[in-house]
Amino acid sequence: MSQNEPPGGIFGLSYDDETRAFEALKLVSTAIIVLVGVWPIYWLAQLAFTEYETVEDVVTVFPTPDIFTVDNFTVLTQPEMYTYMFNTVVVAIGTIVTVVLVSLIAGYGLARLDFPQKENFARVLLIGYLFSPIVIGIPLYQIWQNIGLLGTRFGLIIALSAISMPFAVWLMWKYIMTIPEAHEEAAWVDGASRWRGFRDVVVPQCRPAIIAAALFAFALAWNDFTFAQILLPQTDTTTFAPGILRAMGQAQFLPDAYLMAISLAMTLPPLLFAYFMQSYLLKGFQVRAL
Amino acid sequence: MTTIEIRNLTKVYEESGNEIVAVDDVDLTIEDGEFVTLVGPSGCGKTTTLRCVAGLNKPTSGTITFGDRDVTDKPVQERNIALLFQDIALYPHMSVQENMAYGLKIAGFSREERMARVEEAAELLQITDQLEKMPADLSGGQQQRVALGRSLVRDPEIFLFDEPMSDLDAKLKAELRPIIEKVTDEIGCPTLYVTHDQEEAMTMSDRVAVINDGELAQVAPPKDVYDEPVSQFVSQFIGQPSTQFFDGNVRSVNGTAELDVGGYKYDLARDGLEGWADEDVRVGIRPQYIRVTDHSGGGVPATHLLDEPLGDATHSFFDTEFGEIVVVTGPDFEGEGDEYNLVLDDEYIQLFDTDSGVRIA
Repeated sequence: MSQNEPPGGIFGLSYDDETRAFEALKLVSTAIIVLVGVWPIYWLAQLAFTEYETVEDVVTVFPTPDIFTVDNFTVLTQPEMYTYMFNTVVVAIGTIVTVVLVSLIAGYGLARLDFPQKENFARVLLIGYLFSPIVIGIPLYQIWQNIGLLGTRFGLIIALSAISMPFAVWLMWKYIMTIPEAHEEAAWVDGASRWRGFRDVVVPQCRPAIIAAALFAFALAWNDFTFAQILLPQTDTTTFAPGILRAMGQAQFLPDAYLMAISLAMTLPPLLFAYFMQSYLLKGFQVRAL
Repeated sequence: MTTIEIRNLTKVYEESGNEIVAVDDVDLTIEDGEFVTLVGPSGCGKTTTLRCVAGLNKPTSGTITFGDRDVTDKPVQERNIALLFQDIALYPHMSVQENMAYGLKIAGFSREERMARVEEAAELLQITDQLEKMPADLSGGQQQRVALGRSLVRDPEIFLFDEPMSDLDAKLKAELRPIIEKVTDEIGCPTLYVTHDQEEAMTMSDRVAVINDGELAQVAPPKDVYDEPVSQFVSQFIGQPSTQFFDGNVRSVNGTAELDVGGYKYDLARDGLEGWADEDVRVGIRPQYIRVTDHSGGGVPATHLLDEPLGDATHSFFDTEFGEIVVVTGPDFEGEGDEYNLVLDDEYIQLFDTDSGVRIA
């Protein structure tokens, strides 16, 4: 009897129909996510490659050959744009290096050494996240002014590193705890000093965590607006995000297409960075399969 | 020429205000080229002892000497030891070759010298074709060979093993045992091997050191530990299946002692029982020395429960008035739940103090 009944799924459909419906729904949901995520980037890109007069007058969806141009990107050759980008790159790299170095050493200390109030120390680190950048930014402005770090890239690097540090230190701490202590002890038995064992055995195995911390620090530094606006008050030393705002306020002639070109140029590096690092991230995790 | 001398080694841990004595006044000397196994149940302090010898833990008191060199306060890097870990601990991001050469690299050997030594060790361990692989691509047994090789190339002064085979299956263990013996022979240095597996201890050692609750119970060649255990603990821990124990009472009769176990009498021609007349004792006998007979033979009545055939022998379980008893029977024995009598071979009966567990006779 029961064998003759049509096999029924949740919606009373046959299994084949149900699978087909499931596949279709999967496609639809993927399409929605792609649309939401990719559409703004597409719009940015297509406007950046359209003649700026056209952009001002009508709405276009694709830079067809008659309106296609790369002239918008000449705005990047303006000297202050070059300065902004250079500053942003220096600050991002500086932040990454500082965050990775400090978090590796701090994380190692938390994971391997015993000292009083260790857990509480780590928890206190997280308090830094309770304040929005603007709350920390104003006292920092005064402190930096007193010690002469105001308006320097170094000052901004320190401020941004401090913001990324709690996450990075926790990540390293927990990650290093997953590396068996016997690996290090084996290195000591082989004659390596504690520092050498850390460098040769612990750090290489931390690669996934290093990359994750670097990505985090990079995203924070590259996209930072508040700290750069406060701590780099002079237009000629500031980074991209506040710089573009000031350019918009000051310039008599800055069409939307130019803005899109600048934005696209500044969006590409983090996209590429995230994309390539992600493959390294996966490679790193294979090491831990042992 | 090196010997390891452990004198009055004590290690006390402090845990939430409580003092835990992990190692209690251990004295042990390992001669040059000697293979000593430290065996005991988990948590008995054997690994702590080894880690103190390695320099990974600092002893609370006592001294450790390698030859005429006092290493008690020397860090692990300066002790020139080799140590094989339970979890093998190869560096997962280095190839087999780099793993084996790492110690030499730190010691500052040239590239050619490193490669030559690695090749030589790889040949001895039959892993020459694995040198380019990553540790994750190797089986557990191969990984442990690489770890052996990593120790071998450095020509260590002493060799330490911390339960290196406890994660391997029985067949691999049997395969690796001769290799470990070969390698330690080759180097010819004193070896301290820690394990909870009494079979490993019996098969590989020159001497077995049985440790219980942080104290050495007995240090003797494997055969002596098996035949002449000094305490109930050693008798129970060494040997498979375990020694069977009963409560008994000694009655002295004209020079030879008569042993009474629950109404069954055994005549023991032993020395050392003077003064034990009418005293309660703990009676132990190995399952190999219990005989199964039919009813006519006398002995303890027993109901057969089950057989565990091993091929070359059978472990048979019986229910008696003393509780469950294991007997090693012949390979063709099949009890089939019948009634039998168990006869103890009085020559192999061991007597222990009921309180201290110390061997009496």
